[in-house]
Amino acid sequence: MIHSNFKRLGISIQKIIGKSVLYLVTGITSVLFVLPVFMVLNYSFKTKRELVVGNPLKLPETLQWDNYSYAFYRLDMLRSFTNTAFYTSVSVFIIAIVAGAAAWAIARNRGRFFKFSYIYFLIGILIPYQALFLPIYIIGYTMNLTNNAYGIIIMYVATGLSFGVFLMTSFMNTVPVELEEASFLDGCSIYRTYFSVVLPLLKPAVATLIIMQAFQIWNDYLLASLFVSKRSLTTLNVVLQSLFSQQSSDYSSAMAAIIISISPITILYISVQKYFIQGLTAGAVKG
Amino acid sequence: MINHKHKMQYLSLIIPAMLLFSFGVILPAIMGIYYSFTSWNGMTPEIPWVGLDNYRNIFHDSYVKNAWVFTIKFTLWNTVLQNVFALLFALLLNAGIKGKNIFRTMIFIPCLISPIIVGFIWQRIFLNILPYLNILFGTDINFLLFGSADTVLSGLLLANNWQWIGYWMLIYLAALQTIPKYLYEAAKVDGASRFRQFFIITVPMLAPAFTISIVGITIGSLKVYELLVSATNGGPGRSSTSIIYLIYNTAINGRQYGYGSAISITLIAALLVVALWQLSFLRKKEVQL
Repeated sequence: MIHSNFKRLGISIQKIIGKSVLYLVTGITSVLFVLPVFMVLNYSFKTKRELVVGNPLKLPETLQWDNYSYAFYRLDMLRSFTNTAFYTSVSVFIIAIVAGAAAWAIARNRGRFFKFSYIYFLIGILIPYQALFLPIYIIGYTMNLTNNAYGIIIMYVATGLSFGVFLMTSFMNTVPVELEEASFLDGCSIYRTYFSVVLPLLKPAVATLIIMQAFQIWNDYLLASLFVSKRSLTTLNVVLQSLFSQQSSDYSSAMAAIIISISPITILYISVQKYFIQGLTAGAVKG
Repeated sequence: MINHKHKMQYLSLIIPAMLLFSFGVILPAIMGIYYSFTSWNGMTPEIPWVGLDNYRNIFHDSYVKNAWVFTIKFTLWNTVLQNVFALLFALLLNAGIKGKNIFRTMIFIPCLISPIIVGFIWQRIFLNILPYLNILFGTDINFLLFGSADTVLSGLLLANNWQWIGYWMLIYLAALQTIPKYLYEAAKVDGASRFRQFFIITVPMLAPAFTISIVGITIGSLKVYELLVSATNGGPGRSSTSIIYLIYNTAINGRQYGYGSAISITLIAALLVVALWQLSFLRKKEVQL
């Protein structure tokens, strides 16, 4: 009876079962992926006692906001948080401007030097800075760039440029050459044209670059741990790591610290998701 | 349109990027090669030249061998697991379900977290969360994956895959959406099964995405370090010491800059050879299709 009704409506039972299985599998997978994050959030609101006793997945009886204020003020996260935000935003800003300019010049010229520089930058993509950290550290150390806010920014910019040049070059064909030519005819210099015509048209590319480099720098540990040992200049991940290695039974404040440190980047991702996915598609799949 | 004056100005737009990149990447690479021929300890003003000694020593060093074995195992497993699961999840999300964006975001969230934190989170999962299942179900499963040399690789793979599958899933999802629908319709008309459609249309059309993800996962896995710092400390023993971890121990803690540099150079050589080989091999496959 039901079966014949479905048939009349053009729905096959096979299809319904198929769809349900699809939703079930996708649902379970997604939940499994966020479960560890939920665990961190859950622990960050628990008391020390609740950490050791009873079901670890049980929700806290009362929300311990103290864990957060302890992490933020007592562990001096405020300072490392500001430092990380400063290094990230300045580096990412410079990378976007400098890489965009180079990518534009490479895309609009045919000369041998421009071709060479494209390949030159490719080396940086194939060799991640982690493989070069030792000489990078030696350079930083001998040139007094360690324990220096500008030193670490220079290194973040230098190591982020390759990726930037590549991403921006692959986006360049979205900028119509006619607009640039019109701008030259109007008597604009090449610099003026870059800043007032090309860059604004590259907004999606710039947004993608900013997001991807922001993740990279915000989440960096190796370079930060080598370059800034001074407390006043240290970054979130370095502080977190020292916290992780100290903690024994009291890790609720460490969990609160984790939530504090991943919040800005999560908010950034969710608010610019559209650009990010666009950029991945253009930069990765086509490139 | 572009005259000579313009050309010089275009050059001036490349110069800042060139200089910074040369300073922060190319110069270190050259210096690394130089130090790899010395026995410098990083402190003394004179830098003793030892020629190929460091490279000869690498071949007899069991620590280096162990680190390479761990790093290669980690890389191979990651390349297989991340590709398979990323593609599988991308296909699931691309099968016309509602709420796709929410599921996609849920699976992607771990990518936003620093590997230092990921290591710590999984340490806690293995120590505190999973053992509770034993109490709950009265079982006796060993969940302390980071605790023994036999299981540490599986534990790290679990943590690392949890973090990165979402990223590569996004790449595959984006690639899947560029496949024109009419190809499937034509195949359907010709009577091709779903299974056959996957192999004659989906897989070939995904070739560029395969290239990107295979090269990306390889490079990413060969440089694994941060995850180990907070998850295992390279242990137990030296069972999860990766190449970068070993370089760090050798040069920074052991004060053997020259030797550490030589190990770095072997890593760079491996990265370049593997990435270029993969790129040329996979690109050729793309062209044939």
